Amino acid sequence: MPLLTFENVSKRYASGQDALRDISFSMDAGEMVFLTGHSGAGKSTVLRLIHVAERASRGTVLLEGRNLAQIRPRGIPALRRRLGMVFQDHRLLLDRSLFDNLALPLIMAGVSRGDIGRRVRAALDRVGLLARERALPTALSAGEQQRVGIARAIVVQPLLLLADEPTGNLDPQLAADIMGLFATVSAQGTTVLVASHDLHLVRKMGKRVLVLEQGRLIDDFRPGGA
Amino acid sequence: MNRRVRSTTALNAEPASKPMRRSFGEGLNAWWHAHLYSALSSLGRLTGRPASSALSIGVMAVALALPLCLWMALTNLQRLSGSVEQSRQISVFMRIDADAAAVATTAGLVEKLPEVRALQVQTPEQGLVDFRALAGFDEALDLLDSNPIPAVLRVELKDQADPSAMQATLSALPHVDAVNYDAAWQARLDAWLHFGQRFSLTVAVLLGLGALLVVGNSVRLAIDARADEIEIMQLLGGSDAFIRRPYLYLGGWMGFLAGATALGILQAVLWVMQPSVTALVSTYGGGFQLQGLGILHAVGIWALAASLGWLGAWLAAGHWLRRHRAGS
Repeated sequence: MPLLTFENVSKRYASGQDALRDISFSMDAGEMVFLTGHSGAGKSTVLRLIHVAERASRGTVLLEGRNLAQIRPRGIPALRRRLGMVFQDHRLLLDRSLFDNLALPLIMAGVSRGDIGRRVRAALDRVGLLARERALPTALSAGEQQRVGIARAIVVQPLLLLADEPTGNLDPQLAADIMGLFATVSAQGTTVLVASHDLHLVRKMGKRVLVLEQGRLIDDFRPGGA
Repeated sequence: MNRRVRSTTALNAEPASKPMRRSFGEGLNAWWHAHLYSALSSLGRLTGRPASSALSIGVMAVALALPLCLWMALTNLQRLSGSVEQSRQISVFMRIDADAAAVATTAGLVEKLPEVRALQVQTPEQGLVDFRALAGFDEALDLLDSNPIPAVLRVELKDQADPSAMQATLSALPHVDAVNYDAAWQARLDAWLHFGQRFSLTVAVLLGLGALLVVGNSVRLAIDARADEIEIMQLLGGSDAFIRRPYLYLGGWMGFLAGATALGILQAVLWVMQPSVTALVSTYGGGFQLQGLGILHAVGIWALAASLGWLGAWLAAGHWLRRHRAGS
């Protein structure tokens, strides 16, 4: 059974704008997929539907076989605690240390104190920021802040890691580094779905790519592969 | 809450999590840790903005102290009126033609009544002397042929005695002209005290509501100031309960500190008022010690203030979360 399935999903906003038009695709556990397209193509809407920040107007979104349309508002936090989310603007708590930023989702999940320390340091180690666990995010560069965002997403050992334009604010070299970090996370077994408008960078990763255009899924390919 | 704890050795070895059960002890420990985190972080927020926190707590404390002071004044007035009532007297006016032997006979009968605590006989001569001293009618009294003032028996009743029944009993005794027991002033005082109690209750409810609004507004401002942080928590899967909790503690702390301040204000008022009350009561030949709240009442007021703060925060945070709940 695929981990994530979109079946004929459409999304029309209250303004009348069609963000998604009848798209269908699926992802297996452990897979890494890039979602690309121009601005307004519907990439973020796909992520928002998985994150249940929006509901589909038509069609079905299944995560581990569970229809996300049937999740009540009260059940949304529990679902989100099983997802890792990386944002373009990092969304870090700027007045808390890196350690506290990473500890937050674990505290929300009710993880014991001892496990929190161990898991936070392991995640910071994976993104190369263990030595700066007591630093504030404001003391870091944009690339480092994004690495903290990734560490916060993987510290919860997510069922599915979602990233919305994670390299949007970074220069090409830093962007490539961040994408490499996602590939490493994926190689270690985490399922990853990254939305990015940078098709050139996405192609270089050699992973499966879904291309959206005006809300329609127009291509699904693997660069240099079948 | 999602129960997702793994006893693992390396993060790399566990890519995708699944909800897992944990022991009761682990759950209790996590629950305790989460509450401790919320309680301490909210206290930190309170002390982090000392001026605005002190202002809010001060307003709430005054709102609590006002009805408390009123209530305390009424309670003390009741005590005072109770002691006045206990020393109530019935005045028995003898007939003007009753001689000393007749007065002594009637006095003897009165003394034997079981409801009587004490008896004082005022002769016509003593009455005339007192009247001269009080009224300043020396010359007018000199013109009278005879003393117009009758002998008076001042009867003090025991606590359990019924003044109305005693009035009837004393009226029936020989040589008695009239019996005077002025119960009206006591009834009027009781009515005023009753009115005062109702008034203080109304004021307490209104000011309690005011305190609730003060906390609610303070918490709303605190939430607004941290709206970005709350949005991040919601995106990461923070439940309403988790997000609300530190603000509940914030309201609780504010109520707790406002309650303590209100009790301090009350004690200060007692301290300031005591000399004046002592001086006033001493002019009536009595002594009276103002009484504050007992320890149980004080603890109750303190708990009530903390609960008010908690409730105000609950309402404000709940309203905010309903307006900003993601994905609903």
